[in-house]
Amino acid sequence: MTSLRPILASAWMGIQHDIAWTTPVLSVALRVVAPFASAMTVSIIYWFGTTSASPGLFNADRLAYVLIGSTLYAHVASYAWVPTVAIAEGKNLSVFPHIYITSRSTAFYVAGTVLSSFVISTIASVAALILAYLALSSFLGTQIPATVTLTSVAMVAAALVANIPGALGLGFLLGAYSMYASKFEWSLPGYVAGLLMVFSGALFPTSFLPWPISVGAQYLPFTQFIAAAREALLPGTSGDYATSMGLCLVGGGILLGVSMFVYFASERKARKDGVIDRRLA
Amino acid sequence: MKARALVRLWSIFGEPLWIVVSMGFPVLSSLALSLLYYSIGAASYVGFAVLGGVMVSFWGNVLWSMASQFYWDKQEGLFEIYLTSPAPISAILIGMSVGGIIGTVPSALIVTGIGWVLFHPAVNAVWGGVILTFGLTLASLYAMGMTLSSLYLAYGREAESLNEVLQEPVSMLSGLYFPSLGARSPFPLAIQAAASLIPLTIGMDALRKTLFYGNDIWQVWPDLAILGVMAVVLLFASTYALKYLENVGRRDGTIGVRIR
Amino acid sequence: MASKGTVSVEVSDLRREFKGKGSPVVALDGVSLKVGQGEIFGVLGPNGAGKTTMIRILSTLLLPTGGWAKVMGFDVEHEPEKVRRVINMASGAEKAGYDFISAKKNLWFFSQLYGIPTATAEKRIMELSEMLGLTKYLDRKFYALSTGYRQRATIARAFVNEPKVVFLDEPTIGLDVMTARSIREFLKEQARRSERTIILASHNMAEVEAICDRVAIIDKGKIIAAGTPEDLMRSLGAPALVMEVSPPQSGFEMLSRVEGVKGFTASTEEERGLSTVHIVVETDAAARAAEDAVKREGLKVVASWRKQATLEEVFVALVGRGFKEREEQDVV
Repeated sequence: MTSLRPILASAWMGIQHDIAWTTPVLSVALRVVAPFASAMTVSIIYWFGTTSASPGLFNADRLAYVLIGSTLYAHVASYAWVPTVAIAEGKNLSVFPHIYITSRSTAFYVAGTVLSSFVISTIASVAALILAYLALSSFLGTQIPATVTLTSVAMVAAALVANIPGALGLGFLLGAYSMYASKFEWSLPGYVAGLLMVFSGALFPTSFLPWPISVGAQYLPFTQFIAAAREALLPGTSGDYATSMGLCLVGGGILLGVSMFVYFASERKARKDGVIDRRLA
Repeated sequence: MKARALVRLWSIFGEPLWIVVSMGFPVLSSLALSLLYYSIGAASYVGFAVLGGVMVSFWGNVLWSMASQFYWDKQEGLFEIYLTSPAPISAILIGMSVGGIIGTVPSALIVTGIGWVLFHPAVNAVWGGVILTFGLTLASLYAMGMTLSSLYLAYGREAESLNEVLQEPVSMLSGLYFPSLGARSPFPLAIQAAASLIPLTIGMDALRKTLFYGNDIWQVWPDLAILGVMAVVLLFASTYALKYLENVGRRDGTIGVRIR
Repeated sequence: MASKGTVSVEVSDLRREFKGKGSPVVALDGVSLKVGQGEIFGVLGPNGAGKTTMIRILSTLLLPTGGWAKVMGFDVEHEPEKVRRVINMASGAEKAGYDFISAKKNLWFFSQLYGIPTATAEKRIMELSEMLGLTKYLDRKFYALSTGYRQRATIARAFVNEPKVVFLDEPTIGLDVMTARSIREFLKEQARRSERTIILASHNMAEVEAICDRVAIIDKGKIIAAGTPEDLMRSLGAPALVMEVSPPQSGFEMLSRVEGVKGFTASTEEERGLSTVHIVVETDAAARAAEDAVKREGLKVVASWRKQATLEEVFVALVGRGFKEREEQDVV
């Protein structure tokens, strides 16, 4: 219970950070705008490319593949920023050193803020997917396939949960960097988001990438999360659901273990070098 | 104006790492979308994704370093110094724009270089038209940034959230990576009309025409004229908005107050 | 440097070096001390003397490069988790808090990081706020609080987990007299009634004199004197000579050649057209010689009087300069 308190309080603080500047409803509504627009953009690229390049290239299944993949990518990418922002803002508001010297220290704080982002991002991503689905169906005048049943929704929810270790792992890895960074702490999440766009199989199958990059990309926990969730909504397009879930959990667990190790090492080094309470440029 | 431009350039080129860190997302998203075009058998349109990557660098710069700049300046206590100096605030904004444009060029060149080496996009350019269109697009885009920077002063810590809200929708509506105007646009006419109010939309459309479809200046003159008018109107709008908000700030005593 | 009763903080030969451009910069150079339970212990020194470095090490924010330090028996280097359960800290220079939520919610958030049940935390927040005169402002967002109330909230945060040892770095810096006084009263109350040990780093002599049971004077990373404020001041007898000299002067170097003058510090009041010199002397004869030396330079001694030494004068006696001059010296 005493370990849960700091995590829940940090999650609460993360939510406050996201919504305190406006009303909760408006805040969440605005959170939907970015993933909606980015899902629309890539889906329209698919539609434009296939309908303009040659007749008969367009395939509604593949459009759904891109649409769902891009929304799930946006869900993952939103985690990338959270620990960085939490640590950077904590340092700039001078609260970070005070969090560091509490009995539970910063790991619980980072975990809590990632979890809050998970909740907000899940709501925003689901809303963005629904809106983009409706908008594209209307604009493009096409029926986009999707299997939405109680079972498929439960399978997507399970995939989202299975992705939490990986998300936390990514959070700690980036947190390790911003713990030590004195400037440009925001740049690494930008790179990670961009890399995930290329390597997570969100927009096109990883097999399209050159070997051996394709093999590495295939076994990223995020690739497997996107594959599992997409397989639930579009059966037969992204491999075996159970295998993807297994690989997502195993890969996420390994990433979490490694990143915790890196995070604590970074924390120790930051303490040694006296940068825990250094403000960012 | 010159001083503000130089400050921006010093801060960018005095810290070469800045170029590396700021190009990450434009390069990788351009790469991802180019691969998307490639993977669906539409390699002939890969150039659209590369051009989008170039222009998204400038759009990002307009949002994060122009629109929200006065917000950061106010946080740091610099904005009061601008206001109390004899320099016109519009000159400071223009200086920031010029510095921002020059500072973003390396990132844009790297996106172009990587796109060129990896994908060899098909180009059918009228270079005079491309350069003129590019220049006018940047002028109107940065004028929009100046107007936004004035409007952002009316907000507190929302500036960051507003940027996040604007970034992707404007990228989509303006057709950074696909045509959002005309016959090949997926959008209904009403949305196209609304999107046309964004300078980037007109600019991207004209850039694609001159860069990929061989249109010369005379074929894109209406776009160029609109971009020119937008640049002038937005420049005046930003000055007016700033003056108005300055007066409100002086009246309400909020100019020197840190906004959060 | 010994303490009476149960020892809360023990420091032995503590060293900390930072990488400098050329040679390493020594921030702490073999500091040793003991602080007892319920004691308010002042660490006094000019900026850059090593006070903050010591607090950062003791509060587990920074590792030492030599020596050791224990808080409530736990080694700060090797047992930071155990140390953190019994400490808290606040700095006056940084009014730490999340701007976008209220003072009360800030305090609640930090209480949760110590695993304190919400009901207990809320009760404690109310008690602390009452003691600090913060209750009326608890629901205001942190950014909307005035500097004084933000600092009261910062101090409340440092006590929210009922720590056994609290580290405070310049807790009243930049505050008005009334706020500073109420914070000092609160700190005294915490030490007396709740037996908390408070380590107070400051270069505010009056504050240290007013609330500290014992003081260590630190300069260039070393403790140069320690004891109760009274003992330290008594050790000099009544050695302070204050002179008002006209016209105003920027330097009084002639004093450093007078035998029996242990140090001096000077300030200029342009509007009154004179300089005030505080001179620490060993004997009455030295005081007379100092006055003569000033007159010999053609300056007019408008007024002069003897007084009981203050802690600043103790510092002057030890290093020959005041805090301000010492800081300027280091900058040069």
